Amino acid sequence: MFFHMVLERNMQLHPRFFGRSLRENLVSKLMKDVEGTISGRHGFVLAVTGIESIGKGLIRDGTPFVTFPVKYRCVVFRPFEGEVLEAVVTTVMQHGFFAEAGPLQLFVSNHEMQDGMEYQAGDIPNYTSSDASVRIQKDCEVLLKITTVSVVATEIFCLGSIKGKYLGLLNDRA
Amino acid sequence: MSGVGEEEENAAELKIGDEFLKAKCLMNCEVSLILEHKYEQLQLVSEDPMNQVSQVFEKSLQYVKRFSRYKNPDAVRQVREILSRHQLTEFELCVLGNLCPETAEEAVAMVPSLKTKGRAHSDEAIEKMLNDLSLVKRFE
Repeated sequence: MFFHMVLERNMQLHPRFFGRSLRENLVSKLMKDVEGTISGRHGFVLAVTGIESIGKGLIRDGTPFVTFPVKYRCVVFRPFEGEVLEAVVTTVMQHGFFAEAGPLQLFVSNHEMQDGMEYQAGDIPNYTSSDASVRIQKDCEVLLKITTVSVVATEIFCLGSIKGKYLGLLNDRA
Repeated sequence: MSGVGEEEENAAELKIGDEFLKAKCLMNCEVSLILEHKYEQLQLVSEDPMNQVSQVFEKSLQYVKRFSRYKNPDAVRQVREILSRHQLTEFELCVLGNLCPETAEEAVAMVPSLKTKGRAHSDEAIEKMLNDLSLVKRFE
């Protein structure tokens, strides 16, 4: 799920960046520091959309650097267990398929698919239902439910399931 | 999330932590407008904006463009307005706005918390809400 949140960060700035463009330099450094980063708590930080406040700068003992507490607004993507969302299939393998939802990678094991889905090897590996009415292959859009969210260092990875009446392959919706 | 040692998270029961329950959720179409705007601003100052953005940004932009139900900003506002009338949390509102279920049963399958949390949304109320939503799509 995407969220618009206010986060806080202590920004360190060298005095050579002070002067008229202090604020500009701070904001530009903030964007470079946080955009594209991943944290276990907030998920993926996509973009900084604005600054809420910049607190008083404090000189760090023994250094010329000054620390400014900055509150900023940003868009984040944070997956939750139990969340239902759309994803695009990227790789189909014998034990399941990988899918992507924006910056997030997910894996759906063949144990988490509807009964009767069988792996078909070949040029375009896919999962086909027993009555051949459903075929899941690379670049298909699927609706899945997140079953596990795993954070290792700064990587987030999810396991998902398409076992459910309304989950699975999405047909072309107008 | 595993390894964090806090209360088990579960979106189906709206157990997503205070910080996120109080935060503003964004539907894919809203994120699309924000990210596209940011990208346009980058285009004004750089010849190669794609090089300036992270892979996280790029993938997210592609995703929200692909899975946006509504393209028109007015339609997006209308969707939020319709859903806001129905005592939903931000999280529930956005999941419904993103997935546009067609029946009450489908809506509850996608957002199980609709039937819990002491609000007891009746099937009729849910169907009416989904109906109002589908009208926005038709007249976009």
